[in-house]
Amino acid sequence: MRKQNFIPNIFVCLVWFFLFQYKANAQQTVVDSALLDRVAALEKQAAEKRSGEDHFMVAGLATIGFASYKTTNTLNNVATISKGNSFPDANHFEFSPMLLWRHGKNFLLEFEPSFNNNGLSVNWADVSWFAAPGLIVRAGYFVLPFGSYAKRLAAGWINKLATDPMGIAGMTPTDYGVEAEGGFQLGSMKMNYDVALSNGNQLQTDGTLTSGNITDNNKNKTITARLGLLPFSNSSLEIGVSGMFGKVGDQGSVTQHAKGNSYAFDLSYVKHFNPVLLNVKAQYNIQDISDVDYVSPVDTTQTYTFNNHTTASFAQCSVRPVNVSSFVKNLELAGRYTTYNTPGNSTFGSDQHSVTVGLSYWLNWRTVFKVTYESYTGNSTASKTLGAFTGKTVTNTLFVQFSIQL
Amino acid sequence: MKRFQLQKIQTLTAILSFITVAVLFMNSCKVSQKVAAKSGAQLWTENCQRCHNTPSPSTFSPEQWETIGLHMQTRALLTNTERDKIIEFLKQ
Repeated sequence: MRKQNFIPNIFVCLVWFFLFQYKANAQQTVVDSALLDRVAALEKQAAEKRSGEDHFMVAGLATIGFASYKTTNTLNNVATISKGNSFPDANHFEFSPMLLWRHGKNFLLEFEPSFNNNGLSVNWADVSWFAAPGLIVRAGYFVLPFGSYAKRLAAGWINKLATDPMGIAGMTPTDYGVEAEGGFQLGSMKMNYDVALSNGNQLQTDGTLTSGNITDNNKNKTITARLGLLPFSNSSLEIGVSGMFGKVGDQGSVTQHAKGNSYAFDLSYVKHFNPVLLNVKAQYNIQDISDVDYVSPVDTTQTYTFNNHTTASFAQCSVRPVNVSSFVKNLELAGRYTTYNTPGNSTFGSDQHSVTVGLSYWLNWRTVFKVTYESYTGNSTASKTLGAFTGKTVTNTLFVQFSIQL
Repeated sequence: MKRFQLQKIQTLTAILSFITVAVLFMNSCKVSQKVAAKSGAQLWTENCQRCHNTPSPSTFSPEQWETIGLHMQTRALLTNTERDKIIEFLKQ
C-alpha cells in the first residue's frame, strides 16, 4: 500500500517544487524590476542635482565685542579724564557676508557688503578673470595692493588682536579700477606681483585724503603696485614692496597739480619652532603729498601750508603652542607696537604710538575669542594758530571680542 | 592735449608690456624638483598659515572648496599648481 503511494507522492513533490521555483523566479523578476526603477530614479535625481559649471556660496565674517576705556587729555598741564564703555564696541563691530559666484574655473565674482560703525557699506565688489597661469585680471571696486595688512590680515577672525594698527589700513584705499596680479615659482623661491590702475585718492581742504570715489576728480589715474618675494621654499618668509602714485588735486582747482606718492614695506614670517608656532608681521607706510596752500579754518581770507608727510608702522609678534594639550594649544599670545605720525603744523598733526597685547582662544580654526588691552599715546603736533588741540592724549582700552568666519 | 594723450598711451603701453613680460617670464621659470614634489597637504600647511589657521577639510563641500580656492588665490597670490594641489587635498 505504501509502495503504491510512493510514486504519486514524488510526482506531487516535483509539481510543488516546480511551482515554487516559478513563483520564486517571478518574485525575483518583480524585485529586480523595482530595484532597477529605484536606481533609475536615483540616477535621475543625481543628474538633476549635478553641480554644473557655476557655483554660488556665502562666506564672510562677523565680529562683535565690548570695549571699556579711560582717556586723559592734557593741555597746559590741565588734565581732563573721560571714561566709557560700549557693548558692542561700535568701532570694532562688523557683520560682513561675502557673496562668491564662480563661473566655471576662470571667473569669480566677489561682493562683500558690510554692516559696521559706518552703517551699511561695501568692502569690495569685483570680477576676477583667471586669464592664464600667473595672471588674474580684476575689475570693479577692490582693496588696492598697498602693503599686505588691509588685503590679507584685517579680518577679525584672522587678526590676533581686537584692533587694527592705526593708520595702516586707513592708508590703503579701496578704489574703483582694474588690476592684474599673479604668483609664480622662481626655482625654489616664489614671487608675486599686483598692479592696479584706479581713480585714486582725492585731496581734501585740510590736506587729508579720501578714497573710494566712484567719480574721479581729475583726468589722472593712480597706479598702485606691490611686488612680493618669498625667498624660502617653505614660504615661511614674505617681503613686500609697494608704491602708489597719482595726482590727488581737483581738476581746475589751485591744487590740481598736487601729487600723492606713497610707499609701503611689509614682512611676514611664520614658522614652527617646537613647541610654538611663531608669527611675525610688520609694515611701514610712507605718504607724501605735494606742498599746496590750504584755506585757514579760522580766517578764510588767509592760507597756510605744511609738509604733508605721514608715516605709519607696526610690528607684531604672536606665539601659539603646538603639540600640547587641547586647551593650551588653542591659546595664542600676541603683542604689537604701532606708530602713526601725521603732518605737523596742520589741523590734524599728531605723533602717536600704541602698545597692544592680547590673548586669543581659538574655538576652531576660524572662530576666536579675544581679550586685548591697548595703551595709546598721542602728542599733538597740530598748529595752535589754526585752532587745533595741541595737548597730549592717553587712552587705555580693554577689549573683549568674538569673531567668526561665516 | 596731444602730449597728454601720448603720455597716457605710453603709460598704458608700459603697464601692458610689464605684465606681458612678467607673465612670459614667470611661465618660463623652472620649478625646483623639491618644490614640484610637494603634496597638497604640505602646501596647505605652508601657505594657509601665512595669514590664518589651516582650515579643516571638512569645513566646506568639494564644490565650495573650488570656489574658495579661487578666492584665496587672489589674496595669497598662489600659483595655479599650488591652488590645484591644495584644493584637491581639501576635497578628499
